[in-house]
Amino acid sequence: MSAELERLLDEFAQRYARGEPVDVEETLRRAGERADELAPLLEVFLVRNVRRAASPDALAFVRSLDDPPIVRARVAKRLRVDDIVDAIVRACDLREEARPKVRRYYQQLEGGILDPDPVADSVWDAIVTLLGRSRAFFTAPRGGPVVAAAPMYRADKLFEPSMVSYSRAEPEPLDEVDELFLGPPASD
Amino acid sequence: MRDARDAEDKRLLETGEIDLLLAGWVETIRGICVARMRGSVGEDVAQAVCERLWKELKAGRHRDGRLPFRVVVHSVIGWVCRGWFEPGWQESELFDLDGAAPDETQEVVIELTLEQFVATLPPGDGEVAALSYLEGLEPGEIAERLEKKPNAVYQAISRNKQKLREWLEA
Repeated sequence: MSAELERLLDEFAQRYARGEPVDVEETLRRAGERADELAPLLEVFLVRNVRRAASPDALAFVRSLDDPPIVRARVAKRLRVDDIVDAIVRACDLREEARPKVRRYYQQLEGGILDPDPVADSVWDAIVTLLGRSRAFFTAPRGGPVVAAAPMYRADKLFEPSMVSYSRAEPEPLDEVDELFLGPPASD
Repeated sequence: MRDARDAEDKRLLETGEIDLLLAGWVETIRGICVARMRGSVGEDVAQAVCERLWKELKAGRHRDGRLPFRVVVHSVIGWVCRGWFEPGWQESELFDLDGAAPDETQEVVIELTLEQFVATLPPGDGEVAALSYLEGLEPGEIAERLEKKPNAVYQAISRNKQKLREWLEA
């Protein structure tokens, strides 16, 4: 092992002892081609050392663990929904007028309401680039599908079709934003 | 010191302060997972470890204090890292709390501590190592505290660096 790796290890140990943040990835990056030698030593160092007191960031992270993964990743990066929307609009070369619709779709995606599978690669690229996590991480099923409770209705009124108002207008054709989030329309 | 931290973990479990308990382990979990898996995969694995532990804690597991919580943490880290690249593993088994779980009876050998490392050193170097690795003092501060010449402290630090590496490799 080179003196440089010993120096990095020593520096890591001292930062840890001083209660300063330690960044394993950055330390390994600085080790360059010898990162493979240093990685197991850092791992053993952390295993053999006592854990430090919880930081406010770590506590906020744990308290967000019940949120959907995209929300968690966004909060961890201290980003707003609009930051992600901006990135998607830019990456997909969309018009500024498309922002509200992109925002609506993104919030559905973030909240787990929108099926992530048909969402275009270009949208995912923008999201994962900004959030620094893999697409698989966001789309992996978590604890199985959520099953909604059976609906219950009050029976104090009978259904009258005349009470329902509906539009006879043709549904609007899908635009490019719809296609980015819902996938291309099925051909008949 | 490790015993004190184990006792603190036990207290947090008993008082139900499970968010504080897990938050105290987040840094260690991330560091180990990134070192073992490397890159953004390490972050994903760490996330999965935290999620697993969080769900277990919320389900009331480990409150019996049968094992120190650190043993549970290291068991879950090892279990998640080993299974990470197995197809379908993350989605199904990881979050099935009633299903497969890490075998905590295979207690991870983590009884060695940095304090024990310091205790293995010759007295002079050990004093320097204690102030450097346990208290995080700079060489100048160590020289002042021990009333030694800075050069002597730097020489001890140089010897300790090598010994630390050997101890971690063993």
